[in-house]
Order: sequence, then structure tokens, then C-alpha cells
Amino acid sequence: MKEQSDEPLSLVLLGGSSGSFTIFEEILKMLKNPVSCALVFIIHRRKDSTAVLPEIFRNKTNIAMKEPIHLEPVLPNHIYFGYPDYHLLIGPDGRFYYDDSEKDFFSRPSIDATFVSAALSGIPVKAAMLFSGSSADGAFGLKLIAQKGFPTYVQDPAYADSPRMPAEAVRQYDKHHVLLEKGFYKMIREVLY
Amino acid sequence: MVIIEYSELEMLIVRIREISGFDFSGYAKPSLLRSTSRYLTKNAMNLKELFLYIEQGGRAVYDLIQELTVNYSEMFRDPDYFKKVRTEVFTYLDSYPALRFWVAGCASGEEAFSMAILLKEAGLQGKSLIYATDLSNKVLTAAREGVFTLGNIRTFSENYLQAAGTGSLSDYYYVAYNRAVIAPELRKNIIFSLHDLTGDGVFNEFQFISCRNVMIYFSLELRQKVFRLLYDSLSMLGFLCLGKRETLRYSGIEQHFKIIDSELNIYQKIK
Repeated sequence: MKEQSDEPLSLVLLGGSSGSFTIFEEILKMLKNPVSCALVFIIHRRKDSTAVLPEIFRNKTNIAMKEPIHLEPVLPNHIYFGYPDYHLLIGPDGRFYYDDSEKDFFSRPSIDATFVSAALSGIPVKAAMLFSGSSADGAFGLKLIAQKGFPTYVQDPAYADSPRMPAEAVRQYDKHHVLLEKGFYKMIREVLY
Repeated sequence: MVIIEYSELEMLIVRIREISGFDFSGYAKPSLLRSTSRYLTKNAMNLKELFLYIEQGGRAVYDLIQELTVNYSEMFRDPDYFKKVRTEVFTYLDSYPALRFWVAGCASGEEAFSMAILLKEAGLQGKSLIYATDLSNKVLTAAREGVFTLGNIRTFSENYLQAAGTGSLSDYYYVAYNRAVIAPELRKNIIFSLHDLTGDGVFNEFQFISCRNVMIYFSLELRQKVFRLLYDSLSMLGFLCLGKRETLRYSGIEQHFKIIDSELNIYQKIK
């Protein structure tokens, strides 16, 4: 199973819920050139959501997008989306693991499940970001990533469509970088490239 | 939330094995890490306290094993899957004089009850027997009781309708003391029994095995062993059904199966 490339793996993790969809779209649009990291997007979805995110977002980016299968290796220069009704975990062996244990904050996939697993995986996190959403999911995982010494970013709650998610992240840990409204996408771009 | 590291998990696995003989080393570590963390959080315990607790052996370590291996399910989870089983698989099985089904890793019986309803509505109930197994006595006890909260039942009913059930889910349960109880009539074709996929062997031959969302808890190596057991338990031209995010990839037995549905992961043994 030699699917790994020579490039060392690093992760960029992006979590969001209501109000984050257009942000994700904008971020994908700026991803025209190859990136050195693997990008993992976790957005809350209903379990019966049949929408296939890589399909919806097709033509937005040149980078390969997929909903990974269980045990698939995490590869640089790929964009991954969580699949509805399962948590998406990242293992210390650099593979994706699906998990159907209880929901966190009424959500599966939950952002915390992915963030916590990434923080504990030993794989370097280049950046983790949390955007608009109406639950407290993601705050704990983001804090853990920050405490592991990796850079973390939170959308300015004052400008988020649903401020609860980023506000909770800041409440639990006040040293996240706050992505201000002004220069929002420019800042994200600089983090990614 | 109480967080533990992989190194600590490894120590716990060793200790559990020493005390109880139960071996978690072939389990998918990321899921095990998550469930251990949830167990500690739920019981307001840290890892040190957990080690002390399981030193008592017996009941304590047994409880922990059950908690870490429990899986959650719904009746008619993935309604499309049940639709497909009805149309693609049952039409094929119709010609058999007698049918044996195995729901491997049955948790509290949700999948087995769904299968029983599906069989009844397809007119196959009379000649079918469902073996539903799990390694946890606790969930099997719950399964035998067949009791669910009304909140659960609401979700199950929505799934049932989406799965194109021909009646109403309420045809199959009655309500008592604010709980839904699965009708005894539905349970009479189901045998719930203890079986550990990772340790126990073949116990019967089946025309249909559903093992959905169980493999995701096993490591690559252990999966191959379990897949072999499922293969050996299937009759020729029998069906194997996996969860939505599981495939026969990395299973070691993929060459023996024909794909009936690649999205819903329904396979037929052909050699």
C-alpha cells in the first residue's frame, strides 16, 4: 500500500456550520495552485444529506476533492470532506477512520471529533480554523490543537453569520488568532500558501 | 472532556488483556481512543483512576470492555440500503426453501428488527431465521427486551417511511409506560446470541450476512481475519452487506465477490 508521496504530511483543518458554506466556497476558489498540505473540511450536515460536496464544489478548485473511504491514506495536495452520519477521524498512521459513535453537540460528523483526533495523531497541523456556526462544536478540539503548539484561527464572531461557534472557541481559549472581517480571505490565503 | 494519548491507550490495552484476556490490540486505535476518552469523561475519571478501577478485575473490567465496544444504531439506518435489499436481494432469495440471516454486531437489535420487518413485508418471514449476535451481553439483554424510547422510535419511523415500508412502523411495536416495545410476533424469528467476531468462529451457514459499521472498529489486520470468517460463513451466492463507508477494499476477499451495489456495499459471494 504505497500510496504515500515523499512529501511530509501536514494538515489544514477547517470546521464550520450554518453560515460557513459560502466561506468554504470562497476558500476553495482561492485554491488554484497545488498546496503542500492536506485540507480537511468538516461542515455539519444532516444524516440524509445526499449532496456530494466534491460534486457541488467542482470547478471551484483544481485540487483533487473527495469524501475519503475508510482507511484511505491522507495525502498532501488533496481536499477532503466529512461524510454525513459518520465522524471522520485521522489516525496516527496517516489514514482516515470513520467512526459512528455518539454525536457531539447533536452532530455527526462533529468538528470536535476530527479536530481532537488530528491533535492526538502526531501529524503536524499547519493550521486549524473555525468559522460561523450555531453550536459549541469545535471549540474544545481547536483549543487542544492550540495547546499542542499548532496555529489556530477563529472567525471574528462579530462578523460571523452565526456567532455561537467562533464565540465559544474564543471563550474556551483566548489565544486563537482572530480572523477579522477586513482582509479575511487574504489572511486565509497567506496561511494556506 | 478527558483526553488521553496513544501511548497511554497502549498501556491500557495491555492492562486490560492481562486482567481479562480481552485483546483490543486489533481494534481501530482512533475510535478506541475516542471511546476511552468518552468513557472517562462520562464517569468523571482520569486515566490513573481507570487503571485503579480495573485492577478490581471482574465486573469493573467487564463493564469497561462493554462500554468500549458498544455501537449505536437505528432501525432502518440508511433507508436506501433496505430498499435495495428488498428489490435486489429478496427477489433472488425468494426461491430458497429456507433462509438464514446473520446480523453480525447487532447492538441493541435495531438492524435485526428492521430485517424482520422487511422479511415480513416481503412474505419471507415464515421461512427465515435471523441470528443476531454481539460480543456484549449488556446490549443483547437490551435487544431481547426490544424496548426503545419514543424519541428513538420517531427517528426509526422516518427511516422506515424512507425505506418504503408498506405499512406504518407502529404496526410492529406497542407503547407501554412511555416506551415502545417491539411486538413479540416480530421477535420470534430472531435468535440473539453472544458471539465475538474477533475470537469466535463459524457457527452456521448463511444466505445473507449484514455486518454494517462493525469493520470500521477493527485494524487492517483484524479486518482481514473477520472478513475471512464472514466469507466462510456465507453459502455460495450468499450476500454480504457492509456499512456505507466500508468496502471490500483491503479485505483480502474482494476477488470472491460480485458487486451488487457499490454505493450501498452489497456483495454476492461467487467463488
